[in-house]
Amino acid sequence: MSQEQIDQLITKDYAAGFVTDIESETLAPGLDEDVIRFISGKKNEPEWMLEWRLKAYRAWREMVEPEWAHVNYPKIDFDALSYYSAPKSMEDKPKSLDEVDPELLETYKKLGIPLHEQEMLAGVAVDAVFDSVSVATTFRGKLKDAGVIFCSISEAVHDYPELIKKYLGSVVPQKDNFYAALNSAVFSDGSFVYIPKGVRCPMELSTYFRINEQNTGQFERTLIIADEGSHVSYLEGCTAPMRDENQLHAAVVELVALDDANIKYSTVQNWYPGNAEGHGGIYNFVTKRGIAHTNARISWTQVETGSAITWKYPSCVLKGDNSVGEFYSVALTNNYQQADTGTKMIHLGKNTRSTIISKGISAGKSSNAYRGLVRMNPAAEGARNYTQCDSLLIGDKCAAHTFPYIESKNPSAVIEHEATTSKVSDDQLYLCLQRGIDTEKAVSMIVNGFCKEVFKELPMEFAVEAGKLLEVSLEGSVG
Amino acid sequence: MSEVLKQLYSDKYRGPAWLEAFNQQARSQCSELVLPGRKTENWKYTSLRALEMEQYQPLAEKPALVDHDLAHLSIPQLDSIDLVFINGYFEAALSSDLSMLPQGVEICLFSEASTTQQTIILQKLGGAIEQNKHLFACLNSAQLSDGLFVNIGKNCVLPKPLQIVHINTGIDQAYAVNQRLLLVAEQNSEATVVERFLTDDDGPAVFTNGVSEFYVEADARLSHYRLNMEQEEALHIGNISALMQRNAQLNSFSLGLGGKLKRLDLTVEYRGEGAEAKLNGVYLTQNQQHIDYHTCIEHAVAHCTTSEVFRGIVADSSKAVFNGRIHIHRDAQKTLAQLSNKNLLTSNKAEVDTKPELEIYADDVQCAHGATVAQLDDNSMHYLRTRGVSEAEARVMLSFAFINELINDIKLSAIADYLRPELVNMFSTDDGLKRHLL
Repeated sequence: MSQEQIDQLITKDYAAGFVTDIESETLAPGLDEDVIRFISGKKNEPEWMLEWRLKAYRAWREMVEPEWAHVNYPKIDFDALSYYSAPKSMEDKPKSLDEVDPELLETYKKLGIPLHEQEMLAGVAVDAVFDSVSVATTFRGKLKDAGVIFCSISEAVHDYPELIKKYLGSVVPQKDNFYAALNSAVFSDGSFVYIPKGVRCPMELSTYFRINEQNTGQFERTLIIADEGSHVSYLEGCTAPMRDENQLHAAVVELVALDDANIKYSTVQNWYPGNAEGHGGIYNFVTKRGIAHTNARISWTQVETGSAITWKYPSCVLKGDNSVGEFYSVALTNNYQQADTGTKMIHLGKNTRSTIISKGISAGKSSNAYRGLVRMNPAAEGARNYTQCDSLLIGDKCAAHTFPYIESKNPSAVIEHEATTSKVSDDQLYLCLQRGIDTEKAVSMIVNGFCKEVFKELPMEFAVEAGKLLEVSLEGSVG
Repeated sequence: MSEVLKQLYSDKYRGPAWLEAFNQQARSQCSELVLPGRKTENWKYTSLRALEMEQYQPLAEKPALVDHDLAHLSIPQLDSIDLVFINGYFEAALSSDLSMLPQGVEICLFSEASTTQQTIILQKLGGAIEQNKHLFACLNSAQLSDGLFVNIGKNCVLPKPLQIVHINTGIDQAYAVNQRLLLVAEQNSEATVVERFLTDDDGPAVFTNGVSEFYVEADARLSHYRLNMEQEEALHIGNISALMQRNAQLNSFSLGLGGKLKRLDLTVEYRGEGAEAKLNGVYLTQNQQHIDYHTCIEHAVAHCTTSEVFRGIVADSSKAVFNGRIHIHRDAQKTLAQLSNKNLLTSNKAEVDTKPELEIYADDVQCAHGATVAQLDDNSMHYLRTRGVSEAEARVMLSFAFINELINDIKLSAIADYLRPELVNMFSTDDGLKRHLL
């Protein structure tokens, strides 16, 4: 493809970029113990929760920012960030959608998540997070009948303290890493899911995140507990408004799959990636991890197209015998985006299995790295891993990297890893052009084919969105 | 400087005056470097603790030549130009007569270099290695007193392989050896170099810090064998690097037997288009041994080709580390690079840590890497069992076959013939079976 064609194609703007003006109650920048007490007090949290946060904060102060990731960005001034922001009209919690700020609802409409319609049409319960406070939760009744708990973390702290005490931080401890510690100290809100024994969750659970307040770090916390023999599919989707300032997003997601449980966690991530010159965009430093007990299965599927910087490694600790971990990922970077993403599969139990399929697409001047760890512990008798990570390069200014760490301490464990890197082949393009398919459409088709293995793992609702998202992101990037 | 470094660092080495400036520069670099630890990415899986266990001091003076026969250490079928170093010191009596070298081939010790040779040495020495990244190479330069210089002139073909043998024997205290080789293969020349590292008797506690630099000029062809076959007590940290000019070819084979601490860094950097490198390697570890191979291929220019295959068998409580990095720079279009690393794990206590890395900044390239860690294939075992082969025998046969594929690829048949029985011995003591396999 010629340079003109490339330039011509790199012009697409961020389609979901807009800012909603809602008066927010935002804390002055800076972080100390008082801020944490304020956040905790704001949420009427019990004493043990405050202590938990403070413990994390004290640990965080001793920690240093990790620098091993293959990304470059100006140092973050953590004292210049504000750690709490709530839409003002939320002081009195709305009991139903009618009580919700109309402007807020308008935002969701622009994003294509009209709650009412979703209630009726998609059959998806949405626990929507607007900045830091949970705004509206739907379908709770239906879920309640099944015994499923789906609420915000703040509510869960009050209503289900036993579950929170037992599981919060059990997968990602407060001191796990720099950003997880920060999150543990100041997490604003997030989702809590509990699926009781033997229950198959009657619907796909879904949360839409949205960062809205300027200069506000967003610290989501998600905890999903699937009790013995239960089954849940959880969808997480994000889109953020266009901004100039960099915004920090440091979320923590914890999954607990008890014996025979099955958790499927799907993400479509479309945070604002910054403009074509590399200004602005979200910093996405996320810790996601799940523990799979005996015969359990945890499956991560992600489609990443956004963020200026992504630093994310959804992991599985395969603790129980015969447990299964899966990671399916498409990561697309364009312009000046940088992604360092991958997974960790820690095999502890016997006959544990893991599959990693990672597709990286880099375009423009972006950098896309796969970083993965497969570890077979001495007890992982008969464990099995298969890893495939492919990179596709579009344009000669981008970069693609692969850093797989493979550690085996068990002879009966089998690990296979393969990685390839190539560009969209001229032959494929030529074939399409010859049949009257224009370059842009052709590249889009080829890329979609490249990602097929991952897309087919996504739930229906998301597969459509993901395909479309990729197309939009590519329209502005193909070369 | 940390305690260990101070101890390894010695002023006892006194080189010729013309090397002084070179030493001095490395010394000042050294003082800024710190001993790598677990947090150092390149040393994540390899501990330097073994260096702290003993006082590895350089020998103050050349020891008397050992009286026992070293003939059993030679490669029987190999017709080569031999250079023998005992405990780090060149032993002319055991080496070939260098006055018979063909026109255009120069081989000398640094200490005996002519003024012209000194100029070339100073020009090239340290140029193929990023000393600020390789502490031990820097340490080597800082206390460099002597080394070996080989120059293959333009259009010259080295008639026989050059075999450089490093034997450590007969010293009953811990000591350090600073090994250095500088080889220049000028335009359109051809050479085969075999570097062997051995220990005799019970294996003295020697720490070899080696640096070998190869300049492969345009159209030159170099075959390089690096056989690290020291016994377990020996420590070895080696840096081997090659700078490749236009259409240069490198064919490299490494063999590593484990030890308390063995670490080999192989670096190939392409400086001219159309160059090619083939790197094969085999590592075998037993008991408590450890081995670590770090390879790094720098594709700095377009149209270069790399093919790399490393295989290892890791037994008992031993540990093997492999890190294969391929770095494709911005303008290195039309690069072809393949890397494969396969490991056989034969015991519950053994460990393999492998990391094949790709770092790519150019789009029109074809790169792939693969890595596997497993035990012997069940189907292959079953096949042999159905043919009446005992399980123990089948294991030996399959393990040997696993590495023999790479041994078969060795161009110099004398080396392949020498290695096969040596390696079979590691798998089995059954003479009948061994005869069968060879």
